[in-house]
Amino acid sequence: MDSLRYLLILAACVAVTLPLEPVLGARVYRQPRRLLATLVPVVAVFVTWDLIATARGHWWFSQRYTTGVTVAGLPWEEWLFFLVVPLCALLTFEVLGRGPQLLRRVRNGPRHRGEPVPGQPTGVAHPGESARLGPQETPSAPGRQAATGGRHGG
Amino acid sequence: MAAEYTVAAVAAPVAVLALELAVLRTGLLRTARYWLTVAISLAFMVPVDGWLTRPDATVVHYAEEQISGIRAPWHIPVEDYGFGLALITLTLLLWQRLRPADGGGDGGEARDA
Repeated sequence: MDSLRYLLILAACVAVTLPLEPVLGARVYRQPRRLLATLVPVVAVFVTWDLIATARGHWWFSQRYTTGVTVAGLPWEEWLFFLVVPLCALLTFEVLGRGPQLLRRVRNGPRHRGEPVPGQPTGVAHPGESARLGPQETPSAPGRQAATGGRHGG
Repeated sequence: MAAEYTVAAVAAPVAVLALELAVLRTGLLRTARYWLTVAISLAFMVPVDGWLTRPDATVVHYAEEQISGIRAPWHIPVEDYGFGLALITLTLLLWQRLRPADGGGDGGEARDA
């Protein structure tokens, strides 16, 4: 069992965050292309960092607590780490964007598509909108005035 | 010579910040939702990383000369928080940047401009 330790730690992370999708309404696994497009550059950057760091001896991995399967010189658990941790963060992020909307839907009844109001200082622009989970759509979160800047221009 | 992981762990979040300011420009870092996500993610990182670095059954070992030597809590090198912050932030920024336009068409971003 020792050799499965790193793998089991990662499995626990996946298991703990899994309910965020079906139960709390995060849409991460259900946007596979967006997820893939997000993870590919992240994995590329951090695996590169990892390869440099291990080559330079910054850190190394226990042979006892990894399965011994390596990909490009890194334990495959380490590759999985760069998928699992971002996934957990995205699920958290999506739930946090979702919660206020769910509450609001309960309060406001039927949904309608609000038109964005450019320049509105408090950013209460999209009351019923559910398709996008943008930073400006977290009106009941604390500090929402900081959120109203949203994206610039794009 | 400075510990290399210490330098990298500081440089990485700064590089991600620069990427946001210069290229991605999502505005995400000015939202409470982002900071809350970071806080929750780093909080969960503590038991995970704590387990990976526990002295009696270490999964990931660090070269003492490449880290500051500050470890908290337990045996987690403080550098790991910079690493984690950069990892999480880059992920969220890209995810945000790739947000689908409203209604499935494109031009959603332009409309907000």
